[in-house]
Amino acid sequence: SFAFTWVQFNGENCLNKDTKTNLQDGLKVVLKIIKHYQEEGQGSEVVQGVLLGLVVEDRLEITNCFPFPQHTEDDADFDEVQYQMEMMRSLRHVNIDHLHVGWYQSTFYGSFVSRALLDSQFSYQHAIEESVVLIYDPIKTAQGSLSLKAYRLTPELMEICKEKDFTPEALKKANIGFEHMFEEVPIVIKNSHLISVLMWELEDKSTVADKHELLNLSSSNHLEKSLQLLMDRVDDMSQDIVKYNTYSRNLSKQQQQKHQYVQRRQQENAQRQTRGEAALAEEDITKLFKPPQPPPRMDTLLIAGQINNYCQNVKEFTSQNLGKLFMAEALQGHNS
Amino acid sequence: MSRFFATGSDSESEESSSADEITPKTSGPNFRQSLLLSDDEEDTKRVVRSAKDKRFEELTNLIKTIRNAMKIRDMAKCLEEFDQLCRAFLKSKTIVDKEGVPPFYIRLLADLEDYLNQLWEDKEGKKKMNKNNAKSLSSLRQKIRKYNRDYETEIAAYKEVQELLLLPLLHALLDGSSSGSSDDEEEGGEGMTAKNFLKKEAVPEANNTHAHDEASSSDDEDDEDWGEDSEDSGSSSSEDGEGKSSSLPKMFAKGTEINTTVVVKKLNEILQARGKKGTDRAAQIELLHLLAGISGEHNLGQGILVKIKFNIIASLYDYNPNLAAFMKADMWKKCLECIDELLDILFENSNIFIGENIAEDSENLAIIESQPFRVRGCILTLVERMDEEFTKIMQNTDPHSQEYVDNLKDEGHVCGIIDRLLSYLETKGSTEEVCRIYLRRIMHTYYKFDYKAHRRSLGLVAETKSEQDQEESEGEDSAVIMDRLCKFIYAKDRTDRIRTCAILCHIYHHALHSRWYQARDLMLMSHLQDNIQHADPPVQILYNRTMVQLGICAFRQGMIKDAHNALLDIQSSGRAKELLGQGLLMRNMQERNAEQEKIEKRRQVPFHMHINLELLECVYLVSAMLLEIPYMAAHEFDARRRMISKQFHHQLRVGERQPLLGPPESMREHVVAASKAMKMGDWRTCHSFIINEKMNSKVWDLFPETQCVREMLVRKIQEESLRTYLFTYSSVYDSISMGTLSEMFELELAMVHSIISKMIINEELMASLDQPTQTVVMHRTEPTSLQNMALQLAEKLGGLVENNERVFDLKQGVYGGYFNRENRGGYQQRQGGYRGGGRYRFTLSSRAH
Repeated sequence: SFAFTWVQFNGENCLNKDTKTNLQDGLKVVLKIIKHYQEEGQGSEVVQGVLLGLVVEDRLEITNCFPFPQHTEDDADFDEVQYQMEMMRSLRHVNIDHLHVGWYQSTFYGSFVSRALLDSQFSYQHAIEESVVLIYDPIKTAQGSLSLKAYRLTPELMEICKEKDFTPEALKKANIGFEHMFEEVPIVIKNSHLISVLMWELEDKSTVADKHELLNLSSSNHLEKSLQLLMDRVDDMSQDIVKYNTYSRNLSKQQQQKHQYVQRRQQENAQRQTRGEAALAEEDITKLFKPPQPPPRMDTLLIAGQINNYCQNVKEFTSQNLGKLFMAEALQGHNS
Repeated sequence: MSRFFATGSDSESEESSSADEITPKTSGPNFRQSLLLSDDEEDTKRVVRSAKDKRFEELTNLIKTIRNAMKIRDMAKCLEEFDQLCRAFLKSKTIVDKEGVPPFYIRLLADLEDYLNQLWEDKEGKKKMNKNNAKSLSSLRQKIRKYNRDYETEIAAYKEVQELLLLPLLHALLDGSSSGSSDDEEEGGEGMTAKNFLKKEAVPEANNTHAHDEASSSDDEDDEDWGEDSEDSGSSSSEDGEGKSSSLPKMFAKGTEINTTVVVKKLNEILQARGKKGTDRAAQIELLHLLAGISGEHNLGQGILVKIKFNIIASLYDYNPNLAAFMKADMWKKCLECIDELLDILFENSNIFIGENIAEDSENLAIIESQPFRVRGCILTLVERMDEEFTKIMQNTDPHSQEYVDNLKDEGHVCGIIDRLLSYLETKGSTEEVCRIYLRRIMHTYYKFDYKAHRRSLGLVAETKSEQDQEESEGEDSAVIMDRLCKFIYAKDRTDRIRTCAILCHIYHHALHSRWYQARDLMLMSHLQDNIQHADPPVQILYNRTMVQLGICAFRQGMIKDAHNALLDIQSSGRAKELLGQGLLMRNMQERNAEQEKIEKRRQVPFHMHINLELLECVYLVSAMLLEIPYMAAHEFDARRRMISKQFHHQLRVGERQPLLGPPESMREHVVAASKAMKMGDWRTCHSFIINEKMNSKVWDLFPETQCVREMLVRKIQEESLRTYLFTYSSVYDSISMGTLSEMFELELAMVHSIISKMIINEELMASLDQPTQTVVMHRTEPTSLQNMALQLAEKLGGLVENNERVFDLKQGVYGGYFNRENRGGYQQRQGGYRGGGRYRFTLSSRAH
C-alpha cells in the first residue's frame, strides 16, 4: 500500500557522525525486509537476504537489499552464489548500488546467536571488511516498535575465527567473553524529505486504535516463549559444563599419573645409578599419556551470548510491561 | 509323533526315521529293472553284495556243519553250531533287515525242528543216545521252539510250499543235478516265494548227495539266489502290498483254520511292512480292515478285534509321513469312526484290559473262559493324537470358508469321544491318565462361553418347550465341570505342565464368565507370573491368552486400572497377534527361517478359539484413555510427568499428525476423538464417540453382557470427565457449585461429592468443600503455567550453578571454593522456598483464560 519504491536517493546527508561505522538506511530497505519475512517466514523459520550499499566516509550506507530465495533440499543444483552474482549484475544494469555490504536475517524471540551466524558473518567480514548483519525481530516489531539491529564481529573474535582454535586455552589467551563477541552498530534511518512529510500525514490520519498496540497488557505468552527458549539454552549450557568438567577432571588425573610416572622413573634411575647400571632410556611421555581431547568452547561461548541476549530481551520486556501495568492501575484508580 | 510310537509299535526306529519323508519312492517294477541292468548298476550291487556275501557265507558254512552233525546224530555238535549260527545271524541283522530273512535260514530252522521232533518221538533211539547227546537234544529242542516262534509265518509258508512241491521236487531230484533253471521256468507260475524255496530246497539236497565236491558250487547257487532277491527287494514290499490287496480274499490259504494265532501272525506280518520304504499305506489300512472283518466273521473274540483296531488307528495316523501335513477329510472320518467303535467295544466288554505297559508276549487275545483279554495299546494316546490332528486340521483350513464350519462341526464328535474316554478311564485308568484326559476335556471347554448358564443366571426361561427339554438334558454347567476337573488335577497331578495348563484354563474360564475375583485370586495364588517365561511356548501362549481374557474381564467389571495393567504387556509390545498365537507377523519374515516358521505355524491357535484383537485393542485404549486423560490434565505442567500408556500416546500423536480431520472411521480414530473431547471435559461428545452404532457393531456387541458394559462405560466417562474438567479449569474458578457440576455431568450429587472429596484427600485438587452452600472453594495455590516455567528455570539454573561450582572446585581445590559450604546450603534452602509457592501471590489483573 506504500508507494515508496520510487525513492531512490537515500542518505545523502547523514547527521550522525559520532560513531565509527555509521549505518545509513532507507525506509525502503526496512520495508523490503519486513515484506520478505511476512511473505516467507513462518513462526520460527528464518529468512535471509543480501544488503547492498557503499561506504561513505566513516559510515556504511545501506541503500538496497534483496532476499535469498527459499529453496528446498530437492533442487540441489541451485547455486546460491550464482544467483547473487546474477542479481547484482541485473541491479547494476538499472544503475542501482550493487556493492555487497552485508546481509540480514530475521529472528525468533531474539535467538540468533548461533554457530551458523558466526560462521557466515565471519566469512562476510573476512571477504568484505565493512560487512554487517542486520537482525530483524518480527515479533517485537509486531508489538509496536520496530526492532532492527546491526552487528559486527569484534576484531578479537575475528582473530580467533581466523585461527580456528576454539580450545579453552586459546579462548583464555584471547581473553574473550560472551560480552565481547559482537559489537552493535547504531542505526539511523534516513529518508528523503518527501517521505518524512508523507509519514507525518499518515500519522495524522491514522485512527487512535492502530497506535495503541503498544499498550497491550498481555504478557504471559511472550514470557513463556522466552522462558522456554531460555531453558533450552540453559540445558545446553549445563551439558557443556558437565562435558568441560569431565575434561578437566580427566586432565588433572592424567597430570597426576604423569607426575607419578616421572617420579617413579627418576627413583628407579637413581637406584640403578647406585648399582652402577645404565639409566633407562627416556620414553616419549606424551605418547604414553595422550592428553584428552579438549571440548571446543566456542559453542559454550555462543550459548552464553544467546542466554545473555534472552535475558536482555526479557528484562526489557518486563520493565516495559511493568510500566504499562502500573499505568493501567493508575488509570483504573483514577476512573473509579 | 514319537510319543505315539513309544507306545504303539515295535518298529519305532524305522518309523521315526521315515517320518519326515514326504513321499517314499516307489521303485519301478521288477521287469524294468532287469531290463535296464547297466554296468555301473552292477557295480553298486557288487559293493552291497560283498558285505552280504561275507555274512551269508558264514551262515551257510554253519548250516552245512549243522546238517552234517544232524546226519551223524551228534546233538552236542548240533547245539554248539546252532548257538553259533544264532549269533552269526544276529550279527548280520542289518543285512537281514534290508533283505528279509534269507530262505535258506528258514529252511534250516524248519528242517531242524522237524528233525528234532522226529528224534524226540523216537523213544528207542533216544535211549541209545549217550547222556551228553540226550541233554543237548532236549535243550536244543526247547531253544529252537522258542527261536522259531519269531519266524512262524515264514516257516509256515515254507512248509506249505514244501508240501505242495514235494512230489515234483522229488522227481526233479531223481532227474539229476541239472534241475536248475528249466524247472524253475516251468514252475514260474507258482509264485515268487514258492520258486525261491523250491530252488533252495533242491540245492542242499543235491549237496547232501554229492557232499564232498559240491560245497563251492552250492555257495555260488546261493549267491545267485540272493542276487535275484536283492534285485527284487526294492520293489518287493510294494508289490507285496499290491499283491495282497489284489488278492484280498485270499489272505489266508484256503482251508486254513482261522484262529487267533493265525490272525495275530498275519497281523504281525502286515505290521512288519509298516514304516518301510515303499509300503503302500492305504493298502495296509485296507488289509487291516479286512483282517478285522475276517476276525469278526470267525468270532475270534473282542481281544483280537481291539488289537486290530488299535493298529488301524495307528496306521491312519501314519498315513501322513510329514508332521506338518494334516489328515484328509475321509481319513479323519474313518479315524473318528474307528475310535468310536473301539470305545464301543471297550464299553461293552469290561473284561478287556488295555495298557501300554502290557508286554507284547503277555497279551491275551484268544477267547479263554474266565480270563480277561489283555491287549497292548494305549487308547489315551490315540485320542490325544486325534485331538492334535483335529487342531491341525483346523489350523490348515481357511477360517472364512464353509469348509471350516463343516470341520468345526466335528468338534462335537471329538468332544464326545473325549467324554466317553473320560468316563471309561475314570473307572479303569490310572490317576495320571485321568489327569491327561481331564486336561483334554478342559482344553475343549475353557474357551467356550456357557450361554445356557448365562441365560439361567439372568433368570430367563427358555422360550420354547423343546428348548427347555434340551437344556435339562444337557447336563451340568461348564463352570461346575471346570471346577471339578481342575480341582482333581490340582490335587492329583504330578507333572507340572498339566497343572499349569489347568490353572490357566480355569482362570480363563472364570474370566470369560466375569467371575473376576475368582480369576484374579487364582492368578495371584498360582504365582505363574514369576516363572512363566521358563515354560514352553504353547503354555506361554495360553498364559498370554489368559492374561488378555483377565484384562477384558476386569474391564467389563469396571476395574479400569486392573484391565489396563493386565493388557499393558501384551499391547505395548505391538505383537499381540503373535503373542496370542493368532498369526505370524510379516515383519519377522526375514528374521526367521523356514524351519522356525513351520514350528511357529504349528503353535497357532485355531481360529474359533481366537480372541478378537480389535476388541482387545479397544478395551486397552479405552482403559488407557480413562486413566491417562485425567492424569495428563492433573500434571499438565509437570516436567517429569511419565506416560501411563505409550501406545495410547502414540495413537494421539498419530491423530494429531493428520492434516485433515474427518469424522472418525476406525476404532482407533473413535477413541482418539473421544479422548480429545474428554480433555475438554465434554463427556457428551466423548460418550457419543465411544458408544455409537459403529463401535457397537465393531466392539461392544462382542460382549455377552453388552448392556451392562455400556452402562459402566458411560458412568466411567462421566466420572473421569468430571475429574478432567476440574483439573483443567479449576484455575479459572473461585468456587463452583456441586449442583452445577452434577447437572453438567449428569451424576448424582452424592457421587460428585465423593469424587471431589477423593480428589481433595489425594491432594490432586487444592480446594475445600463448603457444606452449607454445597460449593467447592478453590485455594489457588497451584502456580500458573508461567510461574511453573519460572520454577523450572530456577531449578535448571540451580543445576547450572552447581555444575559451574564443580568446575571451579577443580581449579581451586576443594577447600577454597568460591561459595563455601554454608553458602551453598543457603542457596538450596532458598530453592526450597521457591517450591513452596508462597511467593507467587501476585496475580495479574488480566488473566488469560
